[in-house]
Amino acid sequence: MPSEALLAVRDLRVTYGAVRAVDGVSLQIDRGPFGLALVGESGSGKTTVGRAILRLVPAAGGTIRFEGRDVLGLRGRPLRDYRRAAQMVFQDADNSLDPRMRVGATLAEVLKAHGLAPRGAGGGAGGGAVGDRVAALLREAALDPELASRYPHQLSGGQRQRVAIARALAVSPRLLVLDEPTSALDVTAQARILALVRRLRSERELAYLLITHNLAIIGELCEQAAVLYLGRVAETGPTAGLLARPAHPYTLALRSAVPEVDAAARRSRIILSGEAPHGAPPPGCPFHPRCPVAIDICRVSVPALRTVAPGRQAACHRAEEVLAGLPAGTAAQLADNRPGDPLSTEP
Amino acid sequence: MKLELRDLQVRFGGPDTRPVASVPELTVDAGEIVGLAGESGSGKSMTILAVLGLAGTAGATVTGSVKLDGQELTGLSGAALRAIRGRRIAAIFQSPSLAFNPVFRVGQIVSRTLRMHGLPAGQARERADAAMRSVLLSPELLRRYPSQLSGGQLQRVAIALALALRAEVLLADEPTSALDVTVQAEVLELLRELRDSRGIAILFVSHDLAVIAELCDRVTIMRAGEVVEQGPTGQVIAAPRHDYTRELLAAVPRIGG
Amino acid sequence: MIRLLRANPLIAVGAAISLLILLVALAAPLIAPYPADAGSATHPEIALQAPSLQHLFGTDQVGRDVFSRVIYGTRVSPFVAVLVLLIACAVGIPLGVIAGYFGGIGDEVIMRITDVFLAFPSLLLALAFAAVLPPSLTSLTIAIAITWWPWYTRLIRGQAASVAGRPYVEACRALGIPSWRILLRHVLPNSVTPLIVQVSLDFGGVILTASALSFLGLGAQDPTPDWGLMVAEGQNYFTTQWWLVTFPGLAILLAAMAFTLLGDGLRDVLDPRRVPLR
Repeated sequence: MPSEALLAVRDLRVTYGAVRAVDGVSLQIDRGPFGLALVGESGSGKTTVGRAILRLVPAAGGTIRFEGRDVLGLRGRPLRDYRRAAQMVFQDADNSLDPRMRVGATLAEVLKAHGLAPRGAGGGAGGGAVGDRVAALLREAALDPELASRYPHQLSGGQRQRVAIARALAVSPRLLVLDEPTSALDVTAQARILALVRRLRSERELAYLLITHNLAIIGELCEQAAVLYLGRVAETGPTAGLLARPAHPYTLALRSAVPEVDAAARRSRIILSGEAPHGAPPPGCPFHPRCPVAIDICRVSVPALRTVAPGRQAACHRAEEVLAGLPAGTAAQLADNRPGDPLSTEP
Repeated sequence: MKLELRDLQVRFGGPDTRPVASVPELTVDAGEIVGLAGESGSGKSMTILAVLGLAGTAGATVTGSVKLDGQELTGLSGAALRAIRGRRIAAIFQSPSLAFNPVFRVGQIVSRTLRMHGLPAGQARERADAAMRSVLLSPELLRRYPSQLSGGQLQRVAIALALALRAEVLLADEPTSALDVTVQAEVLELLRELRDSRGIAILFVSHDLAVIAELCDRVTIMRAGEVVEQGPTGQVIAAPRHDYTRELLAAVPRIGG
Repeated sequence: MIRLLRANPLIAVGAAISLLILLVALAAPLIAPYPADAGSATHPEIALQAPSLQHLFGTDQVGRDVFSRVIYGTRVSPFVAVLVLLIACAVGIPLGVIAGYFGGIGDEVIMRITDVFLAFPSLLLALAFAAVLPPSLTSLTIAIAITWWPWYTRLIRGQAASVAGRPYVEACRALGIPSWRILLRHVLPNSVTPLIVQVSLDFGGVILTASALSFLGLGAQDPTPDWGLMVAEGQNYFTTQWWLVTFPGLAILLAAMAFTLLGDGLRDVLDPRRVPLR
């Protein structure tokens, strides 16, 4: 059991103006090989958490410690060093590469910026030792080194994403944040990317934060998972356990909403009413307006994230009941039993 | 057969060029949801455009037959097609915000479309309100601008418009790909309702095999412009006959692991 | 290169004319039949003669050969215009890129300074500057450049701000690439396109502004064969001795057009999306 987590986030708060995109999120990533899934839909704040970890947005509160050292206060040289240790693969592969630079030049730039390009190399991406490093990175990402001379728009979506991964790997990071790495990809390209991450995980002993809304991809890649709703953690725990037996009604609904190819795996659907609101969350539990099992206390008091079973934490007043499995037939009941006026004007 | 496609081919260029979409046979009956599955470049979206008679605007030529209730649609004049489009065959697309002009209130767009298809103003209002209720949205929302509605709501308004027009066929091109999974579940449920209670014929295009598996009664799988396999959904998934279908199914991630 | 020109008729024409102007400028003493007329020579006895075989473009109000002066003008007007635009870009672009990318106080300060300059009608402002400097081509160049840079700052600032928010720039920051590099290699190339077109369109505008100032005696001085000055001086004779204004005017037109076409073509060439998909 490692004595110290690779990344420890405590009570993180990030605001965009008056909106609390992240409102007290805590999570932990152990040393590699290790994967933590950060699951949520739009408005959950999951992308913002990833950005805050990489110091791309300012944090309004809380702490982030990497290998025991504070990250939020870094600047200058220490910040540059942190940016070698922790890297990000962005959501929008189509736009995360400069359209005016060839692939090889993009990779070479990273190497040069961190002094990883051996001296005496030619200026362009083709030159000597830099060129070799670039080719090696491309190969590691399962790409033909030939592609170094291409522009991003000449590659397929899956190839662009792999270039983005290669770029993040160029600095040999210990922590990789993957923000919806497969959302924009076809299912076969997605399968390849996931296989790549699996391979890199074992080859490089990588630790990563997988940010996604797709519950189906987290099982094989992540030991632990955290579900976010409206900027707060709804529940955390080992991935398998969390998916098999959720401890939070939102996870339950999310799980049931995922379409399944295999008929046998399908479960009765819990349909949530409305959508997550933009702007300020309601008083009490942020989920209560849509929660199928909300009770009076939920409208008034914000549930704290607490341990509800060994290794399982949930922020719900009725977590134990949810975990124990709602009474038979409740799921079907829930589908009909939408709280409040179904013709809501709420978003 | 409500909608019948036969030897439909869409091409960019002369008759010797390879078609970007080639469908020998595809039918959708009233009260059923047929899925058109494939990855990008498979030609599924071009097929939808061809059915709507819009492939020409993309610069493509269409050969073959598209019949609605036995009436041939290809080769119809612009005016005739416009009367059918929206009114009898409605379509919803991946990005609902693109379907609504941002400078108009949503209700204005809906009522204008209804009036364009010959409905008198008073009736247009009534139908629009009723349709909104059918998709579980308050008619109040018609007063909002598209930017004030979420993706899921806009998609439901688009469906409401199809309902208000009493469309018999609904073409849906990746309508839920840009939506959250919980919102997607709602929209899919709505589509099922339309099929069951109103007998609408739905052609549902998607790259997401899991959605197709759950929603569609029959499925056609396309790859690089060609139809690779067709049949009842359960059968195709349980016993795929083509290698590509097997490949697609294998690539779909499953929660169970 | 040749393939490039063949595929791009615009840039080919623009480049050809520009090249022609350059060659004429270099070979002026060889081409001009009366090189002295571009200098201080005057021949009042043959003043205001219509175009003829001896004087292809006629003679001006003091008997100088207009053709020779137009030829020698290639050494003056386009040169001044290019210089003005270069200075305006050299000052305006860095300021605009920095303001757009960093935002905050720097942005505010830079934009407010820009606003001050833009508040004045540019001609008046140039006039004011030119008036305090000794009248010469150099003063003219400086005066116009000073009034021109704010437009470019404003133009590129908007672009830079938009590019600064793009995912690939954010990715660069996350990768620890230093700001100056990001500005130089990513923000600048991706912001500069609208500016290229604007600069090429401004070529003609600068020449006209220069001519206005010269007319008022604040820039090029007689006998400098500046096209703008020639147009200005020939104005009074326009209805009867049309050749004084027409030929220098055509020269301005040709040069402006060449530059504009060059700018358009350049913008197309610089777009990497033009590289065909495999």
